[in-house]
Amino acid sequence: MSRLQGPSSLKRPRPGSNSSTQALTEHEHIVYELIRSKQDMGIWTRDVKRETNLQDAVVNKSIKALQAKNLIKEVVNIQSKGRKHYMAAEFEPSKEISGGAWYVEGNLHTEFIEILKKLCVKQVERLKIATLEGLHDSIKRSGALNVDLTKQQIEQILRALVLDDKIMEVKSNGLGDFTRIPVGKICYKCVSKAGPKIGAMASIPCGVCPRINECTPDGVISPHTCVYYKKWLEF
Amino acid sequence: MATQHGIKFALHIITNHFGNLVAKVCECLLRRGPLSLQHVIRYTELSKIQVKNSLLVLIQHNCVQAFYLDEPDAPKSTQYMVLFDNIIHRVRFSKFLVTVSQEFDKMCVDLTEALLQHGRLTLNQIHDRFNSIQKEGNSISLDAVQENLHKLVTSHYVERCPLSEPVLTQPDQDEVPARKRGAKSSKIIVEPETLEQRVIAAAVPVEAKRFSLITDDERNADAVKDKCDSCTEHVGEKRKYDALESDVDSGGTEEQAVLWRVNFDEFIRRLRHKACTENIRTRLDDGAAIVISAMLEASRKEEKKVKTAKSAPLSLDSIYEEVIKNEMGRNMTFDHVRASLFQLSSGPPFVIVEDDSYIIDFKCIMKLAQSDEVESVVLKRYGKDAYRIFRSLSEAGRLLETDKISDTVFVEKKETTNILYKMWQDNYIHMEKIVVGTTIFLLWKINKETLWKTVLDEMFHAALNLSIRMAYELEQQQEVLNLPADRREGPMKVKFERLKKVRMLLESSQMKLDDAIMLFHDF
Ligand code: SF4
Repeated sequence: MSRLQGPSSLKRPRPGSNSSTQALTEHEHIVYELIRSKQDMGIWTRDVKRETNLQDAVVNKSIKALQAKNLIKEVVNIQSKGRKHYMAAEFEPSKEISGGAWYVEGNLHTEFIEILKKLCVKQVERLKIATLEGLHDSIKRSGALNVDLTKQQIEQILRALVLDDKIMEVKSNGLGDFTRIPVGKICYKCVSKAGPKIGAMASIPCGVCPRINECTPDGVISPHTCVYYKKWLEF
Repeated sequence: MATQHGIKFALHIITNHFGNLVAKVCECLLRRGPLSLQHVIRYTELSKIQVKNSLLVLIQHNCVQAFYLDEPDAPKSTQYMVLFDNIIHRVRFSKFLVTVSQEFDKMCVDLTEALLQHGRLTLNQIHDRFNSIQKEGNSISLDAVQENLHKLVTSHYVERCPLSEPVLTQPDQDEVPARKRGAKSSKIIVEPETLEQRVIAAAVPVEAKRFSLITDDERNADAVKDKCDSCTEHVGEKRKYDALESDVDSGGTEEQAVLWRVNFDEFIRRLRHKACTENIRTRLDDGAAIVISAMLEASRKEEKKVKTAKSAPLSLDSIYEEVIKNEMGRNMTFDHVRASLFQLSSGPPFVIVEDDSYIIDFKCIMKLAQSDEVESVVLKRYGKDAYRIFRSLSEAGRLLETDKISDTVFVEKKETTNILYKMWQDNYIHMEKIVVGTTIFLLWKINKETLWKTVLDEMFHAALNLSIRMAYELEQQQEVLNLPADRREGPMKVKFERLKKVRMLLESSQMKLDDAIMLFHDF
């Protein structure tokens, strides 16, 4: 879990740490300065070649050397994972490159998100009606996580749960379950019949049929010949 | 709004119920819009008598309405307009009968059934039909029939038939002298939008007459006066046009000659109310459903049209009064009702609170129910991640960029793009490209209007397919069906049992799908 990098764990760039750059060749120097100038965005090798006007072999060699000297590092750019992307060692990838707090090495940290979702639902269930602050607090106090989550991060999880139709937003009226909550404040509660309902279309073959546009009463694909129907009506 | 597959489904129904000839005439009207008799003959290449008889059948069953357009450029002959909705209602007859049976006794149900089966009947005809199916010595009196008819008319489930051929004059014509009642031409009329709406509005008798059992003598004079200016009724005037006066009402006294039919609007309104209540029940709980149902009942009288957007405002007291009329509601305390009302207004505003009164927001309830239906298709077709993506777009109601979507739904960016792309290819979502420097941004949104139309069309298509498949299954198993029960053994018995299950599944699916069609088309 500690692999999750919240915004707080971003390392600040350390300016002027160029003591080791003295031993660089001229080409290495050019390449290094370019990469470093891109700060936390880093740069794709092809762009290095284009911007420095150096030959491929030279650039590749320089990059290798710079990596060996720990001056630059390869990072995953989630926009295009296949591309080799480099960044000066002192920077941490920006949100655009890393994907943000929920990404680890370019991959969405799905298991962690799932754990958080479950945790949030449990807390909302327990509290019946919960505010964002209340949840943030109770999760912190529960000690179920060994990382600190920001309020914004919890809010993101709650938004996703609303989209999952697992919880819903309600406005407090200050009465009943809401007595302790200011009027008008957005709260969360569990959806009484959780999970999406299966509609009329979703429960018949044609409703979810990928071939519906090609299906005609007398055509090759028709309700008479339909394989989906055949399967559906197998008793 | 008759979509392509809506038309196909309607024709399928007409063919099943009235055969190919009538269907041919119906198709001509469905595809080309209102036409004169001459034109129908020309386009269908049928004989005059064939077309005439087909039109008579369609009129008898309330699927066609004749009218005369008294406008300078309009053709000088009677036009025939097909009523798409009324054709589709034909698959809902069983639902209508259930509705009646929940409120009235068997005789009312039978009466409704007779009207549904025959389209239009006079009191005498209903009486005859009743007695023809009764066992000997069990005859039913005309009074008894009339009494039950009265109940149905009072509750608006049955109405007088519309005028056989209303005349539509051009709207907004202050200069043109009103044809019969100049004095009343100052009355403000909100002009309905489509020609279909205009024709229906012109044909329908005024409210007082529409649901009245009073004899014609009393109403004759008033009726002429009460019609609005844009639609003049030619009572007693001999048709100069080639109107196809239905001859079913020949003979009998004035009173018995009045033709009655089922009022589809009222049934649809009831089903809409039911759908609202059930929706609230699944979304919230039984308490909220009881409260909504009471509110629907209490505000019912104020409702003028089927697609009412909002109910009349109701006070807490009047709601409570209605709640405790219901057996289930009697368990509820005043506070409980108040809490349910809060529940109904605190999430999505199913109920709007305004100066201590409560208003049902039908639109909000229907919209959410429609979204549920579409979302569940998205879930089944494209998966869970797509479901979330779709919901986030639906909630935003505006263009969103891929990365932004990916962040809110916790789906990898690449995967998000793939899913969005797939849905876009199937016309589920709309895409816009924006180029900034060398970067291309993809923006997405849901175009509800077009998507809802697509979904409705697919629903009609699916309904058609269900019906075709049902016929096919029955046809395939003719042999089993023809076998007497005591000879169904071994493999035949297995086949029979399977067919029973198939039928049940197909039939219940048809009913459920029709609920969804009503949700998108009629509510
Ligand atoms: S009948 Fe079969 S092929 Fe045709 S739309 Fe339905 S499921 Fe698809």
